[in-house]
Amino acid sequence: MAGTGKGQKLFLGLVFLILYAPIFFLIFYSFNSGGTMTSFESFTWEHYAAVFEDTRLIMIVFNTVIVALLSSLLATTIGVLGALAIVYMKNRKLRSTLLSLNNVLIVSPDVIIGASFLILFTALGVKLGFTSVLVSHVAFSVPIVVLMVLPKLLEMSNSLIDAARDLGASGKDVLTRVIIPYIKPGIFAGFFLALTYSLDDFAVTFFVTGNGFSTLSVEIYSMARAGITLTINALSGLLFIVTVGLVLGYYALNRRSKTLFTGVKR
Amino acid sequence: MTKQPIIRFDGVSKRYGDDATILDDISFEMERGKFYTLLGPSGCGKTTILRLIAGFIEPTAGQILFDGKNINDVPPNERQVNTVFQDYALFPHLNVFENVAFGLRIKKVKGPEVKRRVEEALRFVNLEGYGGREISEMSGGQRQRVAIARAIVNDPEVILLDEPLSALDLKLRTEMQYELRELQQRLGKTFIFVTHDQEEALAMSDEIFVMNAGQIIQSGTPIDIYDEPISRFVADFIGESNIVDGVMIRDQLVLFAGKEFECVDAGLDPNEKIEVVIRPEDLEITSPEKGKLVVTVDTQLFRGVHYELSTYDKDGNEWLVHSTKKAQVGDEIGLDFDPEAIHVMRLNESEEDFDRRLESYEVTGHAE
Amino acid sequence: MQSKSARALYLIPYGAWILLFVVAPIALVGYYSLFDLHGSFTFGNYRNFFSSIYLRLTLSSFWYAFLITLFSLLIAYPTAYYLTKTKHKQLWLLLIIIPSWINLLLKTYAFIGIFGQYGPINALFAAIGIGNKQILFTDFSFIFVSVYIFIPFMILPIFNAIDRLNPALIDASRDLGANSWTTFRRVILPLTMNGVKSGIQVTFIPALSLFMITRLIAGNKVITLGTAIEQQFLVTQNWGMGSTIAVFLILFMFIIMLFTEQREKGGTGNGRNR
Repeated sequence: MAGTGKGQKLFLGLVFLILYAPIFFLIFYSFNSGGTMTSFESFTWEHYAAVFEDTRLIMIVFNTVIVALLSSLLATTIGVLGALAIVYMKNRKLRSTLLSLNNVLIVSPDVIIGASFLILFTALGVKLGFTSVLVSHVAFSVPIVVLMVLPKLLEMSNSLIDAARDLGASGKDVLTRVIIPYIKPGIFAGFFLALTYSLDDFAVTFFVTGNGFSTLSVEIYSMARAGITLTINALSGLLFIVTVGLVLGYYALNRRSKTLFTGVKR
Repeated sequence: MTKQPIIRFDGVSKRYGDDATILDDISFEMERGKFYTLLGPSGCGKTTILRLIAGFIEPTAGQILFDGKNINDVPPNERQVNTVFQDYALFPHLNVFENVAFGLRIKKVKGPEVKRRVEEALRFVNLEGYGGREISEMSGGQRQRVAIARAIVNDPEVILLDEPLSALDLKLRTEMQYELRELQQRLGKTFIFVTHDQEEALAMSDEIFVMNAGQIIQSGTPIDIYDEPISRFVADFIGESNIVDGVMIRDQLVLFAGKEFECVDAGLDPNEKIEVVIRPEDLEITSPEKGKLVVTVDTQLFRGVHYELSTYDKDGNEWLVHSTKKAQVGDEIGLDFDPEAIHVMRLNESEEDFDRRLESYEVTGHAE
Repeated sequence: MQSKSARALYLIPYGAWILLFVVAPIALVGYYSLFDLHGSFTFGNYRNFFSSIYLRLTLSSFWYAFLITLFSLLIAYPTAYYLTKTKHKQLWLLLIIIPSWINLLLKTYAFIGIFGQYGPINALFAAIGIGNKQILFTDFSFIFVSVYIFIPFMILPIFNAIDRLNPALIDASRDLGANSWTTFRRVILPLTMNGVKSGIQVTFIPALSLFMITRLIAGNKVITLGTAIEQQFLVTQNWGMGSTIAVFLILFMFIIMLFTEQREKGGTGNGRNR
């Protein structure tokens, strides 16, 4: 079959251009001393300096990262236990019910999650702020972890567990020495996805955060509504570099682990 | 011999729910240091016996004794039994060394001791120096050996092998048959081997248990079972056979294919309806005049060491012949055989009755 | 074999999570939808929803979501298809995905600049003689930005479906006399339908409930169910009405999920060789 033709290349090129244009547009103007996103006057680092001088903004970045790390860690723990519970569930009906319930939050629109959690926290009397944001992020990350871990657990042959028992492993040994190492790639993928979901979330946080606690997304929203400031541009430049770094790191890790864990032979 | 059997099944049954009976009231004994094979078609319950011994499942009824002690309630991790799994069940996240060391690590054996024993086990299965390899880098035959090393390193009393050769190609399978047999003799441990391949069973075992539909149909040495199958099922399952209906006229005289023949069987009722087995390799091609049976050659295949002829007598019975001589398709030929080649099977005879009857006339009959 | 107590232990945190964050919130939304602003029981919110304002809103919300999904699909399918043909397809796919990992808000914010009165698009229009146009706060800009946001999510499942397709099937179709177009229509498209369905699922439902993009790009107009919910909850503080709209959005969500339900057909299973 023919490879990529001229027309196909052009099409792909156009899609790439449009996908990256806004990002590079932002970064381009982050070096503009003019202070607007319309005419480029001269090159400057001042907006980047402004980011690092803005202690409030740095606090918010710090909050965002803390929420992301903590929530993904907790969500991964609950999710892995959940996947194990689903796999060991003997009752087929209960099992498929659990799976459907698991997927509800994945397909639910953010607005629904945000609004319903807002009601939940108010009903429970939880003060809106760090706790409510953290708990919400844990809550919407759990099902993703389950979905990442479950296929690994299902693909694992039962005879591996039999073999471990046969070789003298107790229930705890089986879990820590066989199951967990086996599903490790799934756990990492789940953790990583939870991390990005948390970092990326705007809508849910917007609903359940209170005065005095803000994450980056919410902050950018209010800055953007207030009008254009090139501090945001500088921030996007920084975030872009961090994101690309993370993605490439994950990609490299994934490629290596693929040969390590799935036993794909060359 | 007063030696305690290493494994004894006492009226063991295994049922799932009310309907599915996998094993039906099975009793047997296994001696220390022998190579046993459980042979039967898929679904006959042979793997279930293995899983009962390993402890992955519990019997519904009956007792399983290990070295004289009831082990019904002993979990698998506390039994002195190790299994070589059909799919090997090697841990993909551990390398060869750590796979073999798994059991020792669980028992918290000291580092240098682990190294010594793992290396010894790897040497035993001819995998010296492969410890650092990943499982994904090993071939099918090598994985097989890792699985065996992982079982023997724990020094179990009994090693269970669940169709371990089924995933290998023909050549490798034959090689591994030799190796397994030799390994068992060097280790002196009890091996219990499950297979549906009669050739494997005949080649390796000290004793074969032929199973069907949750029951042990016949047990004995490979030669016994091959030469004296108890029933049509066993005769059919082990090797190729010609089986025809007949009548036992009296001791040492049997009627089949419209003729009376001299044979060595005895102890049956006069004029009892029976089945007759003659192995294809016991049939000799000769001229129609000299032949005890006269048949027409239907097809002929060259099988390498012999020709395989499918022939029919005038009653329409098929006679399979393995012969180094050639014939012409469509020709009429004679078939000759010794009285010893005729094996008479009683319908629905139990294994005990069968053994008793065999003993009663074998003393006077052909010597063993 | 894991002991029964261990299994129960696994289930406790996960079961608690399901009860607290899946079952309870939905139940609470349903409960709150039955109360008015003053906290008294009423079906008024439901009566309200069937008034012309909300019906029109629902309709326009569906219309926008439909357009967004349609355009996303029209761009995503060929992109995914061409991507599977490239040499380092996993790397190219990754490059397509990277923009989706940049904070959504930032990308939306960028479009405020790009589509702005003095932005590059208007500069381009001026240069080719069309003259200055109001782009921001129009339906066009709203749909364009939404499509931009959803494209990667649409590409991913379609790419996976096409990538999993056994190439021998395409050869077989050609061998049996089908031309490229027929092969695409009769073999490739049906076998990648599951990917398309997942793509529609991850686009249509969120598109129904967009509110952030609406606020920033389409101006302060309330044009989608999402904006309406946000408005009721966070601006007018009428949780009852907001919950009622949410109840309907959840209903729509289930209906769409039923429509796009995955049936395990030979398609994706075929040639599952990795």
